[in-house]
Amino acid sequence: MKNRRLHIGLLLFVLIGVLPFVSAFVYAVLYSVGLAGVVNDGFTLRFWAAVWNSGEFLRSFGYSAGIAGISVVVSVSAAMWLTLQFKRELQHRWLSFVIYLPLAIPGVVAAFFMVQLFAKSGLFSRFAYHLGWIAEAREFPDLINDPYALGIMLAFITIVTPFFVLLFLNVYQNERVAELTELAESLGANKKQVLWRVTLPILLRKTWTLIGLYFIFLLGSYEVPLILGQESPQMLSVLIIREIKQYDLSKISEGYVVAVIYTIFVSLAAVLLFYRKKSTTDAG
Amino acid sequence: MRVNWKPFVLTLVVLLTLFPFVYLVLLSLASQWRFPALLPGYFGLDNWRTIWASEVGLVSSFLLSTLISLSVATVSTLSGFLISRSVAYHPRKRLLTLFTYFPYLLAPVVLAACLSYFFLKLGLFGNVTGVIVAQFMITFPYSLIFFSSFWSERTKSFEELVFTLGGTRRQAFVKVLLPLARGMLLICFFQTFLISWFEYGLTSIIGVGKVQTLTIKVFLFIKEANFYYGALSCCLLIFPPVVLLYLNKKYVFNKLV
Repeated sequence: MKNRRLHIGLLLFVLIGVLPFVSAFVYAVLYSVGLAGVVNDGFTLRFWAAVWNSGEFLRSFGYSAGIAGISVVVSVSAAMWLTLQFKRELQHRWLSFVIYLPLAIPGVVAAFFMVQLFAKSGLFSRFAYHLGWIAEAREFPDLINDPYALGIMLAFITIVTPFFVLLFLNVYQNERVAELTELAESLGANKKQVLWRVTLPILLRKTWTLIGLYFIFLLGSYEVPLILGQESPQMLSVLIIREIKQYDLSKISEGYVVAVIYTIFVSLAAVLLFYRKKSTTDAG
Repeated sequence: MRVNWKPFVLTLVVLLTLFPFVYLVLLSLASQWRFPALLPGYFGLDNWRTIWASEVGLVSSFLLSTLISLSVATVSTLSGFLISRSVAYHPRKRLLTLFTYFPYLLAPVVLAACLSYFFLKLGLFGNVTGVIVAQFMITFPYSLIFFSSFWSERTKSFEELVFTLGGTRRQAFVKVLLPLARGMLLICFFQTFLISWFEYGLTSIIGVGKVQTLTIKVFLFIKEANFYYGALSCCLLIFPPVVLLYLNKKYVFNKLV
């Protein structure tokens, strides 16, 4: 009876948790090699060759990884600084609620907000006009849909930093970093040594898996780069959807090639993060 | 004399945190706000009154989003709670959990694009049921991962204690496991509700524009450059989560710590 329940649970797990992902991956692989799709007529590797030769995937991957990497590094650094500087104040009754508020802002709203602030006719452009810095809206610098992805990164940093502040505050309390700091100081360590040898190692060691996860989430982000990104290069998810949803049916397979490569990358990252996390936990 | 800069920086951080909320509310109350004016030509409740007009469709989008998110959160929390038990007590727990991470980390919009063929064949393309099923596929792995820590040796020994004392499986579930997991169930419900409530890419692919949730509406208004209604939709999108976060923090997090 007990075994039957476990088996039913496992069956449901496979049906809901595993099957959709495997089906999606297999379908994308078949489409990418010409074995699925309306206009495809048999096995071919020409779509893979086309993607490789065009270089668009690599550009997009590098662009996405750069944006995700910079956003995560800036967010983690800012959150770490805020946590260490204001750990006491942020536990104050109403401030402890205020720091939760940004979690209520989804990507699409953050992107909309960035448009309102940084577009050529946005709020900052209006201030610049009244300060006499620009004479027309078009003189305002490109801060959204720009080649350096400033708008995208700013949106990501706005969304991610508050989460890391909450995370670091939580770890700071749970790992009793304050007590360990006192102990280190009583043993003769100076402030710099305490920061680099006690506080930062503890906070980063406990959170690096989540930092890695956030890098992967940002790498595959869709709505923010869709609204704030430029035509080329595009971030991975935007590129994949643009290729898969295009009118030229003969090019759809190339979109699935990118989707397959992206899925393999994410899966490998999952294996790496998961097993490293496990070994760290086991060692700890 | 050294100036204490901390209060200034902290005030700035708080103002920056509150600024998006205040700005979006103000923008939703504005109209005729053209460049380079610093203040809008009209400021009042006109935009909010139009919420009720059927052609804007915001009320129906709000209700639709609520229906979808409540359904997704309820089903994924309960199924995740029950099914995670089988995964957690399985000898190959690590491998099974790894499988859970794959769909969890993949961009939902890419998963939806690769699954759209199957949704089309199953008649789930472009309708609310399809969007609920698709969103369930991304919230379920989250729920599984979330509850994996609940099924520990301690929980198992509680269950066994009930059996030793003559309790049935049903009693162990209703009188021990559910009360033990109440806080986690609530948090998982809130989190999966938020994942569903904020979802855009997957909904746009599986819903093909026919299922107009609030996030889809925001995007439509951005495309139309109708920023006032865009801000209005943003307000409807962010204030329910603010209330949920408040309740979550007041009644759930504090009791868990």
